[in-house]
Amino acid sequence: MADGFRWGRRPLVPRSAEAHTPPKEDRVFPSDWARTDAGVAVRQVLLKGAMHPLIRNELTLRVFGRDNLEGVDPPLIFYSNHSSHLDATLIMCTLPDRWQSKTAVGAARDYFFDVWWRQAFTALVYGAFPIDRSRGGRGAVDKARQLLSEGWSIVVFPEGTRSPDGHLQRFRHGASRLALETGAGLAPIAVVGAYHAMPKGRFWPRGGRPPVTIRYGRPFWPREVETHQELSRRMTRAVTELLHEETSTWWETLQRAQRDEVPSLMGPTGPGWLRRWEGSRPPARRGPDRVWD
Amino acid sequence: MALALEFYRSAPKYLGARTLGSKAPGLITGGLAPLRLVTQQDPEPTREGWARVKPRLAGICGSDLATIAGTSSFYFSPLVSLPFVPGHEIVGDLLDDCGDLKAGQRVVISSVLACAARGEDPPCEHCAAGNVGRCDRVTVGHLKPGLQTGYCAETGGGWSRLMLAHRSQLWPVPDGMSDATAVLIEPLACAIHSVFRAAVPPGGTVHVVGAGTVGILTLIALKAFTTADHVVVAAKHQRQRAAAAMAGADDVVRPEHAVKAVRRTGRAVKLTPERGMEFLLGGVDVALECTGSSSALDLALRTTKAGGRVVVSGIPGRGADLTPLWFRELDLVGAYTSGVEDLGDGVQRPTFEMAIELASNLPILEELVGATYPLGRWRDALDHAMAAGKLGTFKVAFAPQERQEI
Amino acid sequence: MPRPGFVLEVDERTPPLLVHEGEGFRMQSFPLGTRVVYPPDSLPGIRDVNAAIRHALLNPVGDAEPLPELLKPGMKLTIAVDDISIPLPPMRLPDIRQRILEQVIELAARNGVEDVKIIVATALHRRMTADEIKRMVGERVFRSFWPKDLFNFDGEDRDGLVEIGTTDQHEVVEISKRAAESDLLVYVNVNLVAMDGGHKSVAIGLAGYRSLRHHHNVETMLHSRSYMDPRPGHSAIADSATRMGRLVAANGLKIFQIETTVNADTFPANLGFLNKREWEWSAYDQGLMIAARKANDLAPPRARREFYRRIEAPYKLTGINAGEVEAVHERTLDNLHRQQLVEVRGQSDVVVFGLPYIGPYNVNSIMNPILVHCLGLGYLFNMYRNMPLVKPDGVVIMYHPVPWEFHQIHHPSYIDFFEEVLAETTDPSTIESKYEERYATDPWYTHLYRTSHAYHGVHPFYMWYWGAHGRDHAGDVIFVGGEPKSVARLGYRAAGSFRDAIEMAKDTVGPSPSITYFHAPPIMIADVV
Repeated sequence: MADGFRWGRRPLVPRSAEAHTPPKEDRVFPSDWARTDAGVAVRQVLLKGAMHPLIRNELTLRVFGRDNLEGVDPPLIFYSNHSSHLDATLIMCTLPDRWQSKTAVGAARDYFFDVWWRQAFTALVYGAFPIDRSRGGRGAVDKARQLLSEGWSIVVFPEGTRSPDGHLQRFRHGASRLALETGAGLAPIAVVGAYHAMPKGRFWPRGGRPPVTIRYGRPFWPREVETHQELSRRMTRAVTELLHEETSTWWETLQRAQRDEVPSLMGPTGPGWLRRWEGSRPPARRGPDRVWD
Repeated sequence: MALALEFYRSAPKYLGARTLGSKAPGLITGGLAPLRLVTQQDPEPTREGWARVKPRLAGICGSDLATIAGTSSFYFSPLVSLPFVPGHEIVGDLLDDCGDLKAGQRVVISSVLACAARGEDPPCEHCAAGNVGRCDRVTVGHLKPGLQTGYCAETGGGWSRLMLAHRSQLWPVPDGMSDATAVLIEPLACAIHSVFRAAVPPGGTVHVVGAGTVGILTLIALKAFTTADHVVVAAKHQRQRAAAAMAGADDVVRPEHAVKAVRRTGRAVKLTPERGMEFLLGGVDVALECTGSSSALDLALRTTKAGGRVVVSGIPGRGADLTPLWFRELDLVGAYTSGVEDLGDGVQRPTFEMAIELASNLPILEELVGATYPLGRWRDALDHAMAAGKLGTFKVAFAPQERQEI
Repeated sequence: MPRPGFVLEVDERTPPLLVHEGEGFRMQSFPLGTRVVYPPDSLPGIRDVNAAIRHALLNPVGDAEPLPELLKPGMKLTIAVDDISIPLPPMRLPDIRQRILEQVIELAARNGVEDVKIIVATALHRRMTADEIKRMVGERVFRSFWPKDLFNFDGEDRDGLVEIGTTDQHEVVEISKRAAESDLLVYVNVNLVAMDGGHKSVAIGLAGYRSLRHHHNVETMLHSRSYMDPRPGHSAIADSATRMGRLVAANGLKIFQIETTVNADTFPANLGFLNKREWEWSAYDQGLMIAARKANDLAPPRARREFYRRIEAPYKLTGINAGEVEAVHERTLDNLHRQQLVEVRGQSDVVVFGLPYIGPYNVNSIMNPILVHCLGLGYLFNMYRNMPLVKPDGVVIMYHPVPWEFHQIHHPSYIDFFEEVLAETTDPSTIESKYEERYATDPWYTHLYRTSHAYHGVHPFYMWYWGAHGRDHAGDVIFVGGEPKSVARLGYRAAGSFRDAIEMAKDTVGPSPSITYFHAPPIMIADVV
C-alpha cells in the first residue's frame, strides 16, 4: 500500500502525474503583507527601536545629503554600492521618515526568500520584495514596476551581489531599464566603510565601532532619449562621485566632474589580494560625531 | 557568478540536525541542514592540468546525506575544508581544454583528490601503484584539504553550476551513453572495487545486504566480474527487491528473513541469542554490507561462515557488535573508492575504465535515477533522497544547469 | 490553462486518496499500480452571463428564429423548466434558470404576450415545494406567476395530457396538453450530464406513464451502453427519446430549446479540497480536510445532514445555446465533453466508486438504499463511452454506508418496494413483469404524487432498472462500509474495509486484480478505448 501523507515532509508528485503538473508556481511567501499599514507600523518600531540603536552602538555612523531628498516626490529608485549585509539596514535606518515608511528593499530571492521564516523576517524588517538574480536581473522588474506604480520607492543594488573586495563592480542593467520604463527618479547613495566593518563572510560588524558613512546624492531622472547602458553609466558616475566625496571634498569632485575626470572606483587592476587590500582600507576617522546632519 | 549549494560551518545547525534529525527528518531540510544556496565567484583554474566543468547531473549519495544530517564521524573533519560544495558523483561538460581532452567533451569525474591533482611529486606509494583511493596526501599539496571533490573548499563540487577538476580525475563518456547512466559511473566504480576487494571464491556464495543504489550496483558488479554461484540479497523495500531480482539475484528477501534465507543456502545451524539478532554457524563465503547502517553490518557479520569475508562498502554506522568478527575469524574489509583492479596475471585496469565499459551495456542503469531536481529545489531533493528507498526511488540527482523558480 | 483529465498510476509517492462515502469521505491508501481516473480541471466560466444569455436568445442555432420574433401578442406561450434533480449539488444563487427565465419573460412582456404558463418539467418525479421553486426561478418570477401560472407538471392528470401519436417503433407519445397546444414551447435546461437535454427534455420531462414505459424499462436499459453516450445506436433510451421528440416536432409543436452547461466547480471554498488533486493540496487544504473529517465524525446525524443539504455548488456557466433542439444539443454536448471527457485506456478487473451524499432524487431528502443502487450501479457505472471501466463479470466496489432509512414523504413507494418487492426478488425483469403495473396504477401512490411531494409509485422501479445494465455486466458488487442488512436486501455484499473488499473480489476476478478508481465527483465521463 502506498505510504500515508508525509506530514512535515516536502510535497511529492506521483510519477504518473508529473506530466500533468502545472509548472512550479511561485512559492515565494507573498511579501505584500509587510507593506500594509500594520506591517509598516511594525517595521518602523523594529527599525527605530531596535535596528537603529544597534547600528549606532556597533558603528560610528555619519549621514550626509538627506537634504537632497527634500521637495522630491516619491517614488524614487534608491540605489547604492553593495559591499556588505549592512547596506540595506543602514539605508533603511537612515532614510527620512516619509521615505522610510514607503520604501521596499529588493533582496535576492535565492538568498533571502528561500525558507518561510527568512522570507518573513526580510519582508518585515526591510519591507523587502524578491529579486530573481539568475535571470540576468530581468525577472525582478515585474514586482518592482508594480511597487513603483503604487508610489512605493525601492532600494536596489545594481551590482547584483556584494563586492568581494570592496570595490565597485559592473552595474547590471535591471535598475536602469526599470527607470527608463517607469520614468521614476534615481537617487544615488554611497555607503563607505561597510566593507571594512562587515565584509562578505562576516555576519556581525568588527569591534571598535568602525566608521561608516552614508552619503545621499541628488536624485536625477532618465533623459528623453537614453539607452539603458548610458543610464547605467550615469548611475555609476553618480555613485562614484559620492564615494569620492569621502576621500576628497565636494568642491573637488564637482570640479573633477566638470573636467570629466572622475576616476573609476572599480579598484586597481591587479591581483585579487591588492584589490582586497585597497578595498578594506579603513576610512579615516574624523573626530567626534557631528550632532547635525 | 555561478549558483552553488554550499555546506558551511554552523555548530547550532550541526547539533540540531544530529539530535532532532532522526526523529523529525523534515526539520533537516526545513532549516537544520547547514546548506545554503550561494552565487559563488566562478572558480578559475590557475594551474596546469585543471579545467572548469559544468555539471550536467550530480548524484546525492548516502555519505552526502550523512554529512548534512550531522551523523558522520568526526574522523572526517580534518579531511575536508569548509565551506565546500558537496557532490562527487558527476557527469559534466568541460569548459576548457584539459590535457588531451577538448572543451565541450562530456566527462565523468573520479572524485579523489590524490597526489596528481595536488601536485605531489613524487607521488605516495599508493598513487604510484594506481590505487588513488588510498592516497595518503589528501590533505597536503597545493590544494586545500579534501579527500574528494565535493569535500574541498577549492575545487567546488557537483552541486553547483561550475566546478574545477584535474586531468587525472577526468574520464570521457562515450557518446551513446545517457546522462542518467553516466552519473552512476562513479558509484558503479566503487561497487566494482568492493567486489574485487571481496575476492569471492569461484562458485562461492554471497550475501548482499541492502539493495539501494549501492546494493544494486554491487549485485551487477558481482554478476559481471565474479563466478559467484548463489547470491542472496536482503532488501527493505519492494521496488528494491524487484530490481534485485531483475539484476540477477538468486534469492531476494526482506531483512527480517535474511538469516533464514542464508541458512537455507548453506544448510547452516541457526542460533538465537537471548538479546540481539540471531546468527548462523556457517553461512556465505562473502557478505557485502551496502547500506551504512549498523544493523546491516550486524546481519552481514552474523551470516558469514567462519574464515569468510565481510566487505563494508559504505561509511559504516556505529554500534555494530564485532563479536562474530573475532569468534568466526572473519576478515573485515573496507572498500572505499575506486582505483585500479588486479585482474590476475599481472593485468591491472583502472576501475573507472571498467565501470564505463560495463555501463555501456546495462539498460537497467537507465531506471536507477528516479528523480532530478534543479539546485533551487534542493530541499525537495534532499527530502526525497533521505526517504528514497521508501518512496521507490534509487538515486536522486541534481540537474544544476536547469533554471527554475524556487 | 485548465489541464485535461488523466489516469494516475498509484506509486510510493501517492498519498492516500479521497473517496466519497455518502455524508462523509475517507482517505484510502490504494495498492501500488491502481489506476485512478481524474477529471479535467474546471474550465473558466463565462464572465458576463446575462450578455451570454441575451446573445443566445437573439442568435439561435439550427432552424429557428430569434426569440423576440417568435413572441407575438395573443399567442399561447409555455415555458418548461428542468426540476430540482439538476444541477447537483444545487447551484449557488442566482440559479442559471432564474436568469434565463427573467430574460425570456422580459422579452415576452415587451412583445405583448399575455398567456404565459411556466411548468416545472418533473415527469414522474416529486412535485417541488413552493420554497424550492422560489429558489430556482427567483423571487420576481415566483411572485408574478405562482401559483396559477407557475406549477409542477402532473403526469397523472388525464385531462392535462394529450396523445400526440405513435412512433414507428409503436411508442405512444403523450405529453402535457398545455405544452402541446401552445404556439411556442420554450424549454430551459441545465445539462449536467450527457443524458440530459436534447429530445429528452420535452419528450420525457413533460410525459406521463403511458409514454415513459416505452423506454423506462429493463430491455431499453440493457441496451443503453451507456445512456451517458447519446450517439445514435449507443443508448436505446436516447434513441427512443429522439423518435418521440421528432414526432412531437413533426406534429407542429414549435420548441425553442435553451440549453446550458456548467464547469466543474462542484464544491464551495470551505470544502475546496474536494475539487483538487490530493498531492496538490496545500497545508491549508490538508488542515481543512482533517477539520472536515473530525467535524463530520463528531456531528449528530441531523446536523450533518443539514450541513450537507446546505452545500451549494459554485458552478459557472461554460456555454449557453438556444434554438432548434438537435442543433442546440450538439453544441451542448461539445461543451459538456470539453469539461467532462477523460480518455482511459483499457478496462480493469475491479472498478471502485465513492458514492457522494447527493443524487438526482434525494435533493433535500434522504438517500435510501434503492437510490444508492441507482447512483452507483446506475449513474456512476454508466459514466462511460464505448465500454465500461470494468471488464465483463468484473467486480464493482462502492463506498457508502447504505443506511436503512427512507424519507416518508418523498419516497413512500420506495419503502414498499424495498420491503415487499426486493425481499422477494432482485432480478429486474421479474420485478418488471410481476410488480410494476401494480405500483404504477396504485391509487394511493398516485394520490400522494399528485397532491403531496412524493415520487410516483413506479419511480422505485425505474431506479432499479437504471442499474440493470450495471448488474448484468458486473460479476459481483461489494459495498465498503455498507450496512449489511440493507446491502443484503439489495442483493449485494458488504465489506468492512477496502482490503476485505478486495479479498472478496478475488473470488470473482482472481488473485491479483487490476483496479481502477473513478475519482468522481466532480462529474466526468470515461472515454474507454
